Amino acid sequence: MTRRLLWIAVALVIWAMLPFVVPRNIADLLVFTGIYTVAGLGIGLLLGHCGIVNLAQATFYGLGAYASAYCTVMMGLPSAVGFVVGAAISMTLAYVIGRPILRLTGYFLALGTLALSAIASALFFEWDWLTGGTLGIGGIPKIDIFGFVLDRPSRYYFFVWIVAFACMAAARNLVDSRTGLMLRAMRDSNTAAASLSIDLQGLRTRVFVVCALFGSLAGSLFAHHVSFVSTQSFTVDRSISFLLIPVIGGATSIPGIVAGAVFVTFLPEFLSNLGDIHQILFGLALVAVVVMLPDGLMGALNRIRARYAARGNRNAD
Amino acid sequence: MSMSSVARLAGTVVLVATCAFAAKAQTSGEPVKIGAIVSVTGAGAGLGIPERNGMLLAEKTINAKGGINGRPIRLIIEDDASNPDTALSKANELLFGQKVIGLLGPSLTASTVAVGGVTHANKIPQIAFTGIGPAVEKERKCVAHVLPPQKLNAQALLEYAKSIKAAKVGVLHDAGYGNVVMAEIRPIAESYGVKLVAVEKFEVGATDTTTQAAKVKAAQPDAVFIIATSATPFRNVKQLQMTQPVVAAIGSSSYEYVNAMGPGADNVVIPEFVVGEDPLPHQKAFVDLYKQTYNSTPKNFETAGWDAVHIMAQAIGKAGPNATPQAVCDAMRGPYSGVLANYDFAADDMTGIPLSSYVFSKLVGGKYTRIPFRIAQ
Amino acid sequence: MTLSLVLQAVFAGVTNGMVYALVGMGLAAIFKGSRVINAMQGEFSVIGAMTTVLLLTKAGWPYPAAILGGSLAGALVGAFIEVAFVRYMAAKNASEDSFLLLTIGLALTLSASILFFVGRDGHLLPPLGGEGVLIVLDAVMQFHALWLIAIGIAVTLLLRAFFHRTTVGLSMMAASIDADGAATTGINVRRMRTFTFILGGLLGAVGGILVTPLIGVDYQLGLNLTLKGFAAAVLGGLTNPLGAAVGGITLGLVESLAIIGISSSYKDVVAFSVLIVIMILMPHGMLGRAGRRGG
Repeated sequence: MTRRLLWIAVALVIWAMLPFVVPRNIADLLVFTGIYTVAGLGIGLLLGHCGIVNLAQATFYGLGAYASAYCTVMMGLPSAVGFVVGAAISMTLAYVIGRPILRLTGYFLALGTLALSAIASALFFEWDWLTGGTLGIGGIPKIDIFGFVLDRPSRYYFFVWIVAFACMAAARNLVDSRTGLMLRAMRDSNTAAASLSIDLQGLRTRVFVVCALFGSLAGSLFAHHVSFVSTQSFTVDRSISFLLIPVIGGATSIPGIVAGAVFVTFLPEFLSNLGDIHQILFGLALVAVVVMLPDGLMGALNRIRARYAARGNRNAD
Repeated sequence: MSMSSVARLAGTVVLVATCAFAAKAQTSGEPVKIGAIVSVTGAGAGLGIPERNGMLLAEKTINAKGGINGRPIRLIIEDDASNPDTALSKANELLFGQKVIGLLGPSLTASTVAVGGVTHANKIPQIAFTGIGPAVEKERKCVAHVLPPQKLNAQALLEYAKSIKAAKVGVLHDAGYGNVVMAEIRPIAESYGVKLVAVEKFEVGATDTTTQAAKVKAAQPDAVFIIATSATPFRNVKQLQMTQPVVAAIGSSSYEYVNAMGPGADNVVIPEFVVGEDPLPHQKAFVDLYKQTYNSTPKNFETAGWDAVHIMAQAIGKAGPNATPQAVCDAMRGPYSGVLANYDFAADDMTGIPLSSYVFSKLVGGKYTRIPFRIAQ
Repeated sequence: MTLSLVLQAVFAGVTNGMVYALVGMGLAAIFKGSRVINAMQGEFSVIGAMTTVLLLTKAGWPYPAAILGGSLAGALVGAFIEVAFVRYMAAKNASEDSFLLLTIGLALTLSASILFFVGRDGHLLPPLGGEGVLIVLDAVMQFHALWLIAIGIAVTLLLRAFFHRTTVGLSMMAASIDADGAATTGINVRRMRTFTFILGGLLGAVGGILVTPLIGVDYQLGLNLTLKGFAAAVLGGLTNPLGAAVGGITLGLVESLAIIGISSSYKDVVAFSVLIVIMILMPHGMLGRAGRRGG
């Protein structure tokens, strides 16, 4: 137990030192990793605990970002308002749309969410009085906490990751709760869960709403980081890359989501140093992960650990 | 071997010899690092790749002529994959990691606005390959633009419509670039005596716009504007056997799109800046050098890349050695006669391109020809 | 709104719909034979069309030979994907999601490879039946579009006959519905899955070659086709190639009628909303249970 605490303390120290020892562009990527972790957590919950492939996360990400941009730039309100408004709109929308759409299952549901993302992306283009269309909304202020302005990546890093940790705790809570138990029962056998009179629809909708909340928070964080939002950041492509996060990392494991977020933020960046061939390499890396690590990076890590532990036990015998 | 090719060969030999001599003789010392971000991959690659070619040629030429006061320049070019988030990360890397003195690019408006937030806050000179975008860019006096604002493109289209006496105009435009130009056309069309009889939109990257084109056809316009970054609407207009003159915005002026237009390219008129087949006198030297180097004909974006490097180099030279980025930024603000256009970076829109800098090209048999029409100052 | 405009919209809708249908049929055929949703179906089309373009323009092959070469390229890539990846993952009992992810990864890789090796230019192919057009009430239709629709219908009927009348087709269906049962009756389940991918690759490539004279082909076209083809296949119930044809044409018509009836700005919004509503109201696809059984 003390050993575990020691590890946590070491990890915390490394976490706190990180933005000061790495160059600014890496700190910037670490901020994006935090933002993507928040967005990926929601998809991980849906995928890992409900078996739902959600291809609509860019929609809620966009809603959060536009809410923050509109509230701060157009209306001059404090940034907290943007976060709350975005979250409220996203959760309401997820609830209203979730009820009918979540009656679909499997690939039909995947296509349903994909269609949702395509509709939202078209509307973001179309409602330019709200979103600024292609030109977007610029000049979004940096977040300032009692006069301390989070105007560079090494500062914003802490804010983003504290939000991310809070979301992780909330996700962990949800999974460990009665809801989580019911979710697992539902994932493993729909009929069995239904016969225990678990309200499947209600449960799935609830997780969908949580997923939307995380997406929206990530969007608001994004808007305050880049100070600028435009339709290009919220397309179907973005929804697909969000889905990669839990799949690459491992959907049921929270560290897995972080690993997935690291993968999608850092890998393209490093590959791009290799020149124009980088997109081919990213595709191949993705294929390699899917083929060789079917349960994600975390699953692979657990297997290595299990093998190591087994060997340790054998030696002890 | 014909006379002209002998002359060209001789010219090349002389040029190369001078370059080699100059390079040996003059550049020395620590290179001046200039960062650049362009879209080499993704949706904006049609802009970013030619811009990169133009920049590289300018770098080579400037260094061959002795660099900036004897110091060579070194371009560090990054790809933003047409994504504003990536552009911002790359800008952070170039400005704070590589400590470049100035930044060229990005290729797309969204990325420009995102990157401008950092360069503006840190007073670092930036020359973007875009026209000035949303209102927030008006405050950014360190971000110059080498391409015209969309309002100017709108005026150029309408000037041509007026010159061919088109009173009724139908428009086909995409939801991205086209939408922005369209928003500038609407309020001023009437002052050019142009009535917009049909305005039809399609999504970016649409593979078929036949139905939209049919609606425009049904409104019986005198001329059709196509404002898009794709070849599709040009083909569809042709397929529907529409015979009206087609005027296209600069966004679809590239060999890549023209090839993909197929027969749809016939007789399309485009207000733009460089017709490599028949350049203006002050553009000829650049066009010839480009053709020799790359074995292809430059257009607007290649030229923008060339101009941007020269503008930055001139400003750095003017600000003197050891100048701060802020000083370079101040040195940049003034008139500059580029190959693409006559700029005035002291102007409110940070570009100052006059309408008289436009030339008008017509596509004949899939080839660009320059027509005599110009807009008077 | 004039009659000729409506007719023009119907022409465009049916033509586009047949394009979606061809991609959707390939998707449905692969799903039927392997339970894999192939997110790179559109890439098969791009490979087929690009190969044809290169054989025609760079290698100087005659058009019919180039078309044959392009179609075979699609089939070969299909076989390669199955042998190199799908077989290995199926042996490890990979989940449905990981097959989806695999094909997304392959789609990204192929699209990036075409960009890197062939370039970003769009290419056209010569239209079948020349540049001629059919004019009805002022509405125009390319001869090529008529060819595309005719070939599309022929492919649909052939596919149906293949699955219902031929031993290979019946074996493919059996192998996908109950692999163990099929194996006991002497069907080589693995080989059937390879055939499925060859068929899917062939269908995709033929579709790609047919659309290129109308819309052109470039490295980015794949994803676009996959999305629309996926929608067409799902509308048809996913396991039924005939359903995919009906779904594709419905989708094409909804899109083009939305443009003239509502506004071109809301085309995608209308089309995708209709898609969601149909999925919810008709969970077994537009042809219903009968369609699913028949497929």
